[in-house]
Amino acid sequence: MPDLPLSNPIGFVRKRDWIAVVPARVLSGAIALISILLIWHIMSIAFRPWVPTIDATLMAMGRALQNHSFWDDFFLTLGRVLASFAAASIVGAVLGLIIGLNEKAEAFFQPLLALALAVPDPVYIIFSILAVGTGEMAGFLALTIAVAPFVTNIVRSNVHARDKSLDEMAQIYHLPRSVRLRSVLIPQLMPALLTAMRFSFALSWKLVVVVEAIGQPDGIGASIFNSFRLLRMREVAAVAIIFIIAMQLLERGVLGRVEKKLLRWRD
Amino acid sequence: MTQETRPSVLKAVNLGVTYGQSEAVAQLDFDIKRGEFVAILGPSGCGKSSMLNVISGLRAPSKGRVLVEDEELFTAQSKPPRLGYVFQSHRLLPWRTVRQNLEIALAASQVPRGTWEARIDEILSILHISQFKDAWPMRLSGGQRQRVSIARALLIDPSYILMDEPLSTLDEVTARSLRQELTGICQRTNATVVFVTHSIREAVYLADRILILTKGPARIFEDYKVPLERPRDYDDARIAEVEADIIRRVQAPWGLAMREESSVA
Repeated sequence: MPDLPLSNPIGFVRKRDWIAVVPARVLSGAIALISILLIWHIMSIAFRPWVPTIDATLMAMGRALQNHSFWDDFFLTLGRVLASFAAASIVGAVLGLIIGLNEKAEAFFQPLLALALAVPDPVYIIFSILAVGTGEMAGFLALTIAVAPFVTNIVRSNVHARDKSLDEMAQIYHLPRSVRLRSVLIPQLMPALLTAMRFSFALSWKLVVVVEAIGQPDGIGASIFNSFRLLRMREVAAVAIIFIIAMQLLERGVLGRVEKKLLRWRD
Repeated sequence: MTQETRPSVLKAVNLGVTYGQSEAVAQLDFDIKRGEFVAILGPSGCGKSSMLNVISGLRAPSKGRVLVEDEELFTAQSKPPRLGYVFQSHRLLPWRTVRQNLEIALAASQVPRGTWEARIDEILSILHISQFKDAWPMRLSGGQRQRVSIARALLIDPSYILMDEPLSTLDEVTARSLRQELTGICQRTNATVVFVTHSIREAVYLADRILILTKGPARIFEDYKVPLERPRDYDDARIAEVEADIIRRVQAPWGLAMREESSVA
């Protein structure tokens, strides 16, 4: 048996020691969660019945998770999120590369990009619905147009900020254009591309919910809006919380893993 | 074969570089033979970078000609020179392992794929970095990265290798060890090297010949043949004597006050 210090002869972990062994991130997260629940609890008392109580919301979440129509809406919305996220990321990244690498393209696209970044997202949604109706295409179009400029801007500015000494090295060693793009430029932009993808994903799922609430008969956004119309606030909160958690898991789980794999050379 | 009878690898004839009204290189004439180690020595801002840009094929000269193995550069028919370049900083791709960094240079130089593995193993062994073949560059020390950079330059069988102050960012102990190895490697591989440096002692230790440039715009002030046999010892008194001799010679053309330091950077 190891010797115990005389000041602590029977080996109790003192209170301060116990706090010290909990990682700071876990402790901060726990404090944040408890604070949110506390604020929610106070608001549910102050704004009854518009802010549902925690226990009523948890019960509504349980019911939603057992409901088939919830899962139909969930997967429908997820499909829309992934489609618009993919389209916005690809269009935005390609445009960002073109604008970043070509001065003439930059001169042409720069004012359009500034305008596209300044337009509020609901304007894209309304114009898309007016242009192509309330079908699937309207949402897809609105989201791609709304999200792509942000991706373009991130990629463009990182193309400008790249390490040009590597371009010189590639030129001296006569690396073909395709190799320069694939092995020198794209990997250099990868941290920025991943940031852009995270941003694009976060913006996509929030806007998909708005588009569905405004112009779609189905999906998580429509379900939230229907519950709101019927003043069933616990259902509004329950569906929103489940969807937010699912999106966070997807973002941190899938995109986080992709990021870790692609940027493993930095560890 | 004496130095004079060896074939010419890199030749500059009446080479000049101007940027608008500003003249960076006034006139350079030199002829570097196969297997020669030539150091370029000049004060800061004398136009060495402009000269390197031209002899590496990155920028056409404003006047004069550059010939690589008797074929003129910068003509419509000319092919870009096959050269190795060791930069001041390593310029390795951090997202590719050591092996992958070397492979990309081999692929671009159209070296047959079947020979890659053996070539890479050999060059890494020569430079004592075999154990880092699959390491990421960020995991290596500055000296190890510069060794990889030298390996990349040697690997592709270049017509000549340009080294632009490759040891200036390393600590003195690492730089000494690498200097010593560099002379051995270049002799073993019969590489033709153009080595730009600010350190007179380094130039004397490494080079067969030193092209001493004037203050900018650059001209060749003296084509100095190093009067020392190989192998050389960096701390040898004779190296210090040659260094002192060169310092005396460059006082006036570089506009320096008398001083004792070996480095003129």
